[in-house]
Amino acid sequence: MTKSKTLTGGALLFEVLQEHGVQHVFGYPGGAIMPIYDALYDSDVKHFLCRHEQGAAFSAVGYARAAGTVGVCLATSGPGATNLITGLADALADSIPVVAITGQVPTAAMGSDAFQEIDIFGLSLACTKHSFQVTDINELEKVLHQAFEIALEGRHGPVLVDIPKDVQLAEVTQRLDKLSHLKNKVKLPLADISKALDLLTHAKQPILYVGGGVGMANAVEEVRDFAEKTGMPSVSTLKGLGAINPDNENHLGMLGMHGTKAANLAVQESDLLVVVGARFDDRVTGKLDEFAPNAKVIHFDIDTAEINKRRDADAAILGDLKGNLPLLTTELNIADWQQKLKQMNTDFAWRYDHPGDNIFAPAVLKTVSDLMPSNTCVTTDVGQHQMWAAQHMTFDDPSNFLTSGGMGTMGFGLPAAIGAQISRPHDTVIAVSGDGSIMMNVQELATIKRYQIPVKVVLIDNAKLGMVRQWQDLFFDGRLSETDLSDNPDFVMLATAFDIKSKLITKKSEVKAAVEEMLDHDGPYLLQVKIDAAENVWPLVPPNTANDKMMESV
Amino acid sequence: MNSMTLNKYQLIIMADDKQVVLERILQVTRYRGFLINGMNAEVNTGNNVATITMSVSSERPISLLIDQINKLIDIKGVKVDNSDVQIKQHSA
Repeated sequence: MTKSKTLTGGALLFEVLQEHGVQHVFGYPGGAIMPIYDALYDSDVKHFLCRHEQGAAFSAVGYARAAGTVGVCLATSGPGATNLITGLADALADSIPVVAITGQVPTAAMGSDAFQEIDIFGLSLACTKHSFQVTDINELEKVLHQAFEIALEGRHGPVLVDIPKDVQLAEVTQRLDKLSHLKNKVKLPLADISKALDLLTHAKQPILYVGGGVGMANAVEEVRDFAEKTGMPSVSTLKGLGAINPDNENHLGMLGMHGTKAANLAVQESDLLVVVGARFDDRVTGKLDEFAPNAKVIHFDIDTAEINKRRDADAAILGDLKGNLPLLTTELNIADWQQKLKQMNTDFAWRYDHPGDNIFAPAVLKTVSDLMPSNTCVTTDVGQHQMWAAQHMTFDDPSNFLTSGGMGTMGFGLPAAIGAQISRPHDTVIAVSGDGSIMMNVQELATIKRYQIPVKVVLIDNAKLGMVRQWQDLFFDGRLSETDLSDNPDFVMLATAFDIKSKLITKKSEVKAAVEEMLDHDGPYLLQVKIDAAENVWPLVPPNTANDKMMESV
Repeated sequence: MNSMTLNKYQLIIMADDKQVVLERILQVTRYRGFLINGMNAEVNTGNNVATITMSVSSERPISLLIDQINKLIDIKGVKVDNSDVQIKQHSA
């Protein structure tokens, strides 16, 4: 016998959320979403009130990335909905499964320029994987199930469901039956395994190029196994960091604009790239025509549209990386190549013997990385501190390094850390931020206070928009236009206003004890680290330049 | 004077007759660097399938657009009706 019960649209929403295992949502109430918030009052779903809808969207992204599940955020119509857009765009660029629910003015008022009315359905087209507007209560249950299925199907992404207020209030009988699956319309070509094996066995200088798709395909174990058994030297994109075992002696670190010298030189010299869950992003390739000029390409991806998009593949293997990569595992005779790259790794190792008493940001982040517990989740904002974190911190899983890769969104780090901490309450979560970025979503310190979320914030403070300042110095004749932030607030006082323990350090002799104090503290903590404003991120591949022509100093 | 070779294609797109499916196709086509030279859309009310024919031109390979349109959830299929027409566009 089919079970059924009658619910309002708002109540139905939370029933469906719970069917999909959703325990936590992030949001902000308002007029056109009040029936949903009224239903929340009776729901077992835990809601976290963020202090801006953008914070709610980024917390949902952080939650999804840290836990490997779908993140959910709620907002009202009009400005509430538009404030979600940056977070949705970020989720689209980084392929993060998020379901965003927006309230809408009643259907009778739609299209009349009503108070707090905006066409969020139309606005969502360019910043979501898919979107719905539900004008019939009888469609709501099916649409909500489809939203979750689409967010997780194939290449993950954000889905928006816009629900007018009268639909939230309307009553409907919940079917409680299984949803019908979406058609699998993409007929994947046969995997070109034999061609790929031929390329692999003839390669003398192969490189495994690891992207963010590895973690999302839940294929970390398979990629590590492939790297170990083949002995193939590897490089990672920003989002691929953590996929390769940190102890793998053939790993060369991050490639690209701020990649390691060893990684970039190795890729340029390679004769074969085995690309797993990566997309030849412009920040990775530098000048595309000169990227790995002598390399054949084996490209594994779940998304057909990424094959041959920026670099032609000699063998394309579409589909599930977890199942496909083991088919290519074979022993390789590349001892000379391995030895050469190990020597490069040694020759070009990072140095932390920075002169003087001032704090050297890479050394701070290395110290945090060395002292933080295993399975710590680190988020970053965007800028110099982000690149220093990628270069000098070590991560034991991709879900332990959450950074805005594709969109490069300042303001990501703090709310993402909140979401990560809520999804993983027993793990340490550290937000590495900059003095520019943290002000983008500084209101989320109130969310930390409200729920006593024990996020640790390492604030790298150079009183500048440091990355823009670096580019102005290097490429715009030192014309420092609007990058001075010397009038920043007192960050220790600011944290104190939110009942967050905090400390300012200015000398390198203070670093280790301060990091230990931060990590030992049970609750939230903000460590403000003053660094020299003139420090640059090195190496740097200038724009439209081949990756082997990197700058290493001024 | 710059010379830009545009390839011209005719696409036939089958789609579910859903809200904003045309807007989605238009948005993707523009964003991916294709000019729309003409368009026609008809719905079979029997099976609620829309057939959209669209003439586009671009310097870029049509496979890039086909792959992106195919990713749209409401699209059932995309094919190129002709792929051998070239037009030359000159700009100063």
